[in-house]
Amino acid sequence: MSNDKVIPSEILREFNAPRQLVFDAWTQVKHLNNWMFPMVGCKCEFVSANIVDGGNSLHKVTMPNGNEMWLYTQYEEVLSPEKLIFLQYMSNENGDIVPMTHMPGWPKDMLATLLFEELSDDRTKLTFLWEPRNPTPEELKVFEATRAEHGSGWGAGMEQLNNYLDSL
Amino acid sequence: MPRLKTTHDVFSAIGEPKRRVLVEQLVLKEMTVNELVDIVKWSQPTVSKHLSVLKKVKIVSERKEGRFRYYRVQPEELRPIQEWMHQFEKYWGGAMDQLDNYLNQIQVKGVDGEQ
Repeated sequence: MSNDKVIPSEILREFNAPRQLVFDAWTQVKHLNNWMFPMVGCKCEFVSANIVDGGNSLHKVTMPNGNEMWLYTQYEEVLSPEKLIFLQYMSNENGDIVPMTHMPGWPKDMLATLLFEELSDDRTKLTFLWEPRNPTPEELKVFEATRAEHGSGWGAGMEQLNNYLDSL
Repeated sequence: MPRLKTTHDVFSAIGEPKRRVLVEQLVLKEMTVNELVDIVKWSQPTVSKHLSVLKKVKIVSERKEGRFRYYRVQPEELRPIQEWMHQFEKYWGGAMDQLDNYLNQIQVKGVDGEQ
């Protein structure tokens, strides 16, 4: 009954920029500090970065309300300009990984795979895949349970619920 | 093993794909066990067994009317799940928006803005 094959969550985006520049934006601190945060009003500061195969980085995202979030990233593959694979963790300011107590059962190792595809000289397609690495059966269940309409996650009925919850 | 009712239990409850199917059906409308059986085509004991787990973690509530028991979803209990569900899209989707703005900005401002 349980299916061990993980189907990654996926985000597809196209950017009006050459592939090399999009790739550099993900791998060079001078770029990263300017955009690597989830919304306007945040700040990002990389305090260390060795973005190469087997390297790592540590950065801080300051939210608009002043809350700080530290993220430690381990790079598995940095293949300019086409592919980037990393594991990212919540950490403290020393880069020590901290357990996500607010997300019990969430997979410990989340692997991000980014594929950069050249559509034209100034247009690039980015495929962002996100999946647990070597999840325990429990972690896999939680991962599946928390995503919408992928793999064995929720089906269409969840949309109704989302609409309803949003209207509350 | 002692089990407390925690958020984790809610997640364990919906970690089972069959239970997600039931929740999805009950989001659409309140139903009896038999109505659910008609839709999902599983045996009645299977449906009842999964419903009882959902009831225990309060995702689903039960209402008696005459000979029938009606089941419905308690949406508030599902809110933490919805928040988790959107975590990836929200965080990384948001970051992609920032990247998009940034890339447009530097290409306009860039010194070698030769198009």
